[in-house]
Amino acid sequence: MADYKAVRVEAGRGGWGGPLTIKPTAERSLIYSVTGGGIHPVAQRIADMTGGEPFDGFKSSAPFDKIAVAVIDCGGTARVGVYPMKKVPTVDVHATSPAGPLAMFIKEDIFVSGVGLENVKEA
Amino acid sequence: MDPAQTRYATMVTSVGDQVAEFVAQGLLIWFAEGAPEELHFFAVLHRPTVTTGGVRPGDLVRIDDTAFRVTAVGEVANENMVNLGHMDLKANGAHEAPLPGDICLEELPLPEPRPGTTLVIEGDAAEADPTRR
Repeated sequence: MADYKAVRVEAGRGGWGGPLTIKPTAERSLIYSVTGGGIHPVAQRIADMTGGEPFDGFKSSAPFDKIAVAVIDCGGTARVGVYPMKKVPTVDVHATSPAGPLAMFIKEDIFVSGVGLENVKEA
Repeated sequence: MDPAQTRYATMVTSVGDQVAEFVAQGLLIWFAEGAPEELHFFAVLHRPTVTTGGVRPGDLVRIDDTAFRVTAVGEVANENMVNLGHMDLKANGAHEAPLPGDICLEELPLPEPRPGTTLVIEGDAAEADPTRR
């Protein structure tokens, strides 16, 4: 059985929300990258540090209750709200703030933005 | 005048349940087919044929027979469009994009896309900016 570790993810420059503590479990093991060009380096780093499984949301689909964290490269309107609405902790690599039609779901305890590699730290 | 360059061209394959609601608010969210299922309910899904990118203010977005002038383009909008077929079209007439993913259009009523609807973005070929692809 995998031994998962926790990471702390902080808002980067110009970012908003968080910090989030991410620790995968056997049930919620996926580091779900919903980004252009495959697994984003931030998702890969979270996976490497926690022992979670990197997963490309544009290649195949996964149920929300398997996802430890969603990593997005959202420009502020659409993806920023979808995963928080489903209670999935969400990391945006772009520096966005609550906006768009689902803004009401975007809270500091479930969303953090502007995140670069240096903002993912051992918890 | 230089010839027009097609920056992007695509055809709608399906339309999410909540798209009509967003159209009424001047917002159209697009993703290429293959986007995760959780994004479908509010998105227009489509199959692109031209994905050059480089959209900039002054370009024209044609949705079937209706043309909209682009007024502003957010800093990650072209990257999202080229990589994911993702666009946030906002008919708000803004001259500065409020959000980094926005493609702002002149403030006109947006059409409600249906399967088969086409979207073409064209601009001046001389002004194509390869650094924004």
